[in-house]
Amino acid sequence: MKVLSGSPVNISDDIIGKIAHRYGIFSNKRDLIYTTAERSIPKGFAAVITNNSKEHISASDDNYLSIVCNVRGIDGLSDGDVVCVNPSGSITILFKKGAVGNALFVTERCNCSCIMCPQPPVSKEIDKTELNLKILSLIDKGTPMLGLTGGEPTLLGDSFIKILQGCKTYLPKTEINLLSNGIAFANMDFAEKICAVRHPNLTIDIPLYADTDTEHNKIVRANAFFKVVQGLYNLALLRQRIGIRIVIMKQNRNRLKAIAELIYRNFPFVVHIAFMQMEIMGLAKENINNLWVDPYDYAQDLGAAVTYLAMRDMNVSIYNAQLCILPKSIRAFAKQSISTWKNIYIDECADCKLREELCKSYKRLSSYLIKAIKCGII
Amino acid sequence: MTYRLLPLRFDRINDNEVFICNEVGEFLFVPVNDFNMLVKQQLTPENPSFLDLKAKQFLTDTELEPVIEMLATKYRTRKSFLDKFTALHMVVPTLKCNSNCKYCQVSRKDVTAKGFSMNKTMARKIVDLIFKSPSPYIKIEFQGGEPLLEFGLIKYIIERAEWVNLFKKKELEFVICTNLTLMTNKMLRYLKGHKVYISTSLDGPKDLHNMNRPLQNDSNSYDKVIDKIRLCRKVLGHDSVSALMTTSRYNLNRLNDAVDEYLKQGFNSIFLRSLNPYGFAKRDGQSIAYKIDEFISEYKKALDYIIDINLRGTYFVEEFASLLLTRILTPFSTGFVDMQSPVGVAISGVIYNYDGNVYVSDEARMLASTGDKKFLMGNVNEKSYAELFDSEFLHSLLSKSCLECLPECSWCAYQNFCGADPVRNYSEQRDIIGNRTTSEECKRNKEIMKFLLDLIKNGDQQIQKVFWSWITRHPLSLEKEEPCEGSIR
Repeated sequence: MKVLSGSPVNISDDIIGKIAHRYGIFSNKRDLIYTTAERSIPKGFAAVITNNSKEHISASDDNYLSIVCNVRGIDGLSDGDVVCVNPSGSITILFKKGAVGNALFVTERCNCSCIMCPQPPVSKEIDKTELNLKILSLIDKGTPMLGLTGGEPTLLGDSFIKILQGCKTYLPKTEINLLSNGIAFANMDFAEKICAVRHPNLTIDIPLYADTDTEHNKIVRANAFFKVVQGLYNLALLRQRIGIRIVIMKQNRNRLKAIAELIYRNFPFVVHIAFMQMEIMGLAKENINNLWVDPYDYAQDLGAAVTYLAMRDMNVSIYNAQLCILPKSIRAFAKQSISTWKNIYIDECADCKLREELCKSYKRLSSYLIKAIKCGII
Repeated sequence: MTYRLLPLRFDRINDNEVFICNEVGEFLFVPVNDFNMLVKQQLTPENPSFLDLKAKQFLTDTELEPVIEMLATKYRTRKSFLDKFTALHMVVPTLKCNSNCKYCQVSRKDVTAKGFSMNKTMARKIVDLIFKSPSPYIKIEFQGGEPLLEFGLIKYIIERAEWVNLFKKKELEFVICTNLTLMTNKMLRYLKGHKVYISTSLDGPKDLHNMNRPLQNDSNSYDKVIDKIRLCRKVLGHDSVSALMTTSRYNLNRLNDAVDEYLKQGFNSIFLRSLNPYGFAKRDGQSIAYKIDEFISEYKKALDYIIDINLRGTYFVEEFASLLLTRILTPFSTGFVDMQSPVGVAISGVIYNYDGNVYVSDEARMLASTGDKKFLMGNVNEKSYAELFDSEFLHSLLSKSCLECLPECSWCAYQNFCGADPVRNYSEQRDIIGNRTTSEECKRNKEIMKFLLDLIKNGDQQIQKVFWSWITRHPLSLEKEEPCEGSIR
């Protein structure tokens, strides 16, 4: 998430609001965070963000007006963005209007501890449900897609149901993509509660990292596999749309086709399967020596797994992969999938002709640079 | 003990490999040494076969119950053809026929014969009975004789069924199995207004078709059939007509010609059927029948030919292979009445004869035409739906037609892809349970399955693509359009 900062004035608590550069008489000012380069500051807004310093602005006589001054890069804030302004003066962009991959971080807690987790979980946190509901109410109604992620969102239990209901109420047309480890759905009562919300556009994406319990459990460092299997069955019984995600790492790179087989034979009801190149962030960065496999080296195996599923009319995609290292026959399955803020091209790609299409990479980690790109095989 | 072995059946296919298959149809080819170690509890997790065996639930070295649960789920899926009960209802409006087919399996009557057609009271009773079936899908298939000789009755049954269905609200469709020679424009215009499909017979190019299927008053039925196929397609649409072929002595060695003929007539599939030993086919066995070994070897040649046609870019399906491939390669249930376990007789498909007699299958009716009413369920005038379909006789027949408990079948590695046929067993071997070691059907099925499995294992990727295009029922173009063709150098 992108963060800006400035000097806070009169901010005692987190303030969540929607960025506005202009307003009309019908604007609900209490929800808006007015963003301006002007010196005069109108009153009535939840907060005001400005690039001017405190001395240079002429606030009206409202002593309680919350302002963040001296903010650099206010050009990065556009109307419709939802931000959180906190007492220290930092401005976190929670929702970027028009961007791909907007997501609500429902909780940072998790009951797995995946060896390659890009966002390692915390053990304790304050409940953010009300905050999240507030965010949902502010998000642009025309947003095509929104992720619900964490942590493990379902750990919130009934509060999570509230959030899902919030999605349905505030964003009835938005496709909701819930990322969950799937364990919670092994409990049929909970699965039923989720489905009872009757969200019209909900897909639940669940990771499956191996074709056997032992291997999967080693990766997620929890006794999860058979609970995930039961969870998938329960959701399928309830006619819930489900996707499966496979992050590729050293531990499972030799079993990609076997995983594809397991999915087709046992879970042919899933609506989507995504093979994902590993993000080198968080725990993945810490454990990199134990995890790293050059995507160029498994490209043929990935090709076999993708072809296996595609032949069977399964809807399969490849996420996060550099187009140039994929065998030509499976390039059409690659999707633009990385959040905009992570989509950074490495130097070697500067002149690439595929760049505008799909060539993309995670933030450069020089020692783990994909060799095919580095040595210019393509 | 380091792991538990889960139920499996196996076949030592050659000196090096064993084919193993479990109760839900998941299979593996395992090196013979690994297999021997597997059953002796000596396989270690480091063995390259171990994970494959575990992922397909041939063994478990951790929990047992959730693995059984996964197998059970797949088993339910596999057997889901049982869920809906009888969907296929065949009706014989008349035994009269204008054809004189060499292999006629039903012993047809002359066009002028009296007393071999259904009356309206009977037709009405049958329709009402059909709608007692709990199945949400109802397919009424008109068989014969030549049903078009009693077109008035067909219209009556269609309209009666549609009327009853106004209240029952099932998915209803009709099929007319006809030699087509008597089809007229007027009939087709009527059929167009209802959900009717046409199933006809085409045994090959002109000389072969005329040899197998002459009319009573005309030895050239071919020209008429081709002409009428065109007419049907014109009025009802291209896909409304399908054709079946029967292999007799005459066309056995020319299956490729039959395939070419089907292609020429614009069909995109063919069902290479061996002869059923009923009716005239049985009586005249000497002149038109052949050894099953001959059929198997000709079938394999023809299948290679068809695969080649597909590889050269024309989508064309062989239906029997397609059915077996679906069973071998997918986790799903398939609805092929003649080859199920338990068998599909009465519970998947049933036939109502012109005289109101209800038989468990078309073959059972054919058998009855030779005088043996072993598989008669009863008459619609005498028995209620419950008496017909919940009888001691049917219970006993079904319980003797589960492969899982038939001798030889119960330990056959290919069981999951196969099915029982008690009527055929009885007709050929005078025993419902039958003896597989001398069964021609068993030999045919097993040989063809092994042939397909060998292609699955050893055939190149292109052949797999052809197979999957048959299973998914659409021409396959795996090379999706590339977003960046030409831009990369």
